[in-house]
Amino acid sequence: MKLLTANRLTDGLVIWYASDNWPEGWVEDAALAKRLEDAEADAILEAWKPRETEIVGAYLIPLVDENTPVQREYVREHVRANGPSIGQTALDTAKAHNRPEVF
Amino acid sequence: MYVYDHYDHAIVKQRNAEFSDQVRRRLSGEITEDQFKPLRLMNGVYLQLHAYMLRVAVPYGVLSSRQVRKFAHIARTYDRGFGHFTTRQNIQFNWIKLAEVPAILDELAEVEMHAIQTSGNCIRNTTTDQFAGAAKDEIDDPRPWAELIRQWSTFHPEYAFLPRKFKIAITGATEDRAAVRVHDIGLQLTERGFDVYAGGGLGRTPAVAPLIKSGLPGEKLLSYLEACLRVYNRYGRRDNSYKARIKILVAALGAEEYARQVEAEWNALDQDAIDAPYAEIARIKSFFPAPAYKAEAFDQAAFDRAKAADSRFARWVRNNTLAHRNDDHISLTISLKPIGGVPGDASDAQMDVMADLADDYAYGELRVSHEQNIILPHVHRNDLYTIYQKLDAAGLGEANVAQITDMIACPGLDYCSLANARSIPLAQDISRRFEDAQLSDTIGELKIKISGCINACGHHHVGHIGILGVDKQGVEFYQILLGGRADEKAALGAITGKGLSAEDVPAAIERVVKLYLELRTDPSERFIDTLGRLGRDTFKEALHEPA
Repeated sequence: MKLLTANRLTDGLVIWYASDNWPEGWVEDAALAKRLEDAEADAILEAWKPRETEIVGAYLIPLVDENTPVQREYVREHVRANGPSIGQTALDTAKAHNRPEVF
Repeated sequence: MYVYDHYDHAIVKQRNAEFSDQVRRRLSGEITEDQFKPLRLMNGVYLQLHAYMLRVAVPYGVLSSRQVRKFAHIARTYDRGFGHFTTRQNIQFNWIKLAEVPAILDELAEVEMHAIQTSGNCIRNTTTDQFAGAAKDEIDDPRPWAELIRQWSTFHPEYAFLPRKFKIAITGATEDRAAVRVHDIGLQLTERGFDVYAGGGLGRTPAVAPLIKSGLPGEKLLSYLEACLRVYNRYGRRDNSYKARIKILVAALGAEEYARQVEAEWNALDQDAIDAPYAEIARIKSFFPAPAYKAEAFDQAAFDRAKAADSRFARWVRNNTLAHRNDDHISLTISLKPIGGVPGDASDAQMDVMADLADDYAYGELRVSHEQNIILPHVHRNDLYTIYQKLDAAGLGEANVAQITDMIACPGLDYCSLANARSIPLAQDISRRFEDAQLSDTIGELKIKISGCINACGHHHVGHIGILGVDKQGVEFYQILLGGRADEKAALGAITGKGLSAEDVPAAIERVVKLYLELRTDPSERFIDTLGRLGRDTFKEALHEPA
């Protein structure tokens, strides 16, 4: 199982694939990211890679279960999905979306 | 400070127009990300973990109040209300929108600022002593020389694609506050001219630069630097980016052989065509006069009364001020290291406060230090208490300069896409652990420097205690280095003991500090001195929890 993520070209913010529509199908809230089966994920990534006027740096995050990235990427993906872990509420993506931290 | 002439204005304006067009073409899809990336990096725009980051150059760390007010405006209007002052005397904005970068650069140009030479394999912004032109121990003012280097190096066609980035630092004081010996080229101004050190640096292969020339006359500086760069540009490795810095070349050739080749190149150059004429050096120097010092006698009695009435003020004066060449004046450091805060961060409101204070009490001038603090270089001592009260009200009154909570920390994995581990939360935990002012004063000078990866933006190799974040199979771990220093006795710290988890680091440091307090001969013996006297092994066991 995988998640597809990228940064939005115009503002660089982290976004997550939820459906194929643009822009509403790519969400800022990681909690809403679609869990993709591996083969489907690879195909969707390939389809989105050329769409460079919308997203940049797209990649897949492998999950060990529905909500846990593989261990090696854990800290990085946790910070990326929830915002800087430095106690500045205004920067905290999780709080901005009024949800508990994911990953 | 230096004022742009029509050439400076023209090249910045031209560059902004060029980059604005490149941004437009990227957004419209006319150029790809692969084509755009090197262009945006040449203009200080990085794509980090959460957003684009814009790094703005602060030439040799010198700022006017107008420029700081512009930073506050940019933080407020285009970012999330703060900026981050870096270990290279620059400022970074962490939440920038690509589409707004052209507007930001135009705003910066209004106050004679830009993001040129903040990235890429070029000669980067020259750094220097934050107390330049003010410190009592200064032999010569490094700022005019740094400005001369800026003018020579900006868009120098021969050095736009060096094997790797190239950093120059200058100091003109007896105490090296600019860490010159851990730069690609370090320049020490002496009464006989420049002492030139080459091949220093931190990162993957840290090195303290050897001396390659003594007594270089100032008017020959540019041609000699040209020779240093030419030899590096010709023979520096381009096959492996990890081995491409000048320190690798100098180590491979040996300092003597590198110096010999530089000398040969220098003698073959048309020096007169490169070196600035005396009149030009004099013109640049004329931009850096001493301020028109306020002619008011220092009121020692009132100052003593204020210190007696407010012990926090007395502590702040003791820790955050430095003797000035004008006895009625003083240089003060505004600590950007509040207890539990983010090292180097300032909010838009705080930047406005600092700019206002500079206008009201410091001849409109500020500096950034590589230790991520802000300096008011020239302040009349009669104004200190008023300044302190205003700083304190803005959350800028921390009295911890050069103490254990005045840490350098890179942005780490909270922002940086290169990092392996977080730096800031660790700095915050250590800061809280040592928040007791009395304990901090008892410990005295102790410099902790934290990097979230081997690239060493947090200068961990030259921390009295250095901390390096590493990734150990997906878990953050921290290696502790002891015994580094960046001053005139520059030395590299060595990894001591085993790596620790983030939770274990503050307690480990506390045990090391406690041992130091037991072992020092007297309170004047600093941590680094005790460490030098007794050796690292004495402290190794203390790093780990007793079994």
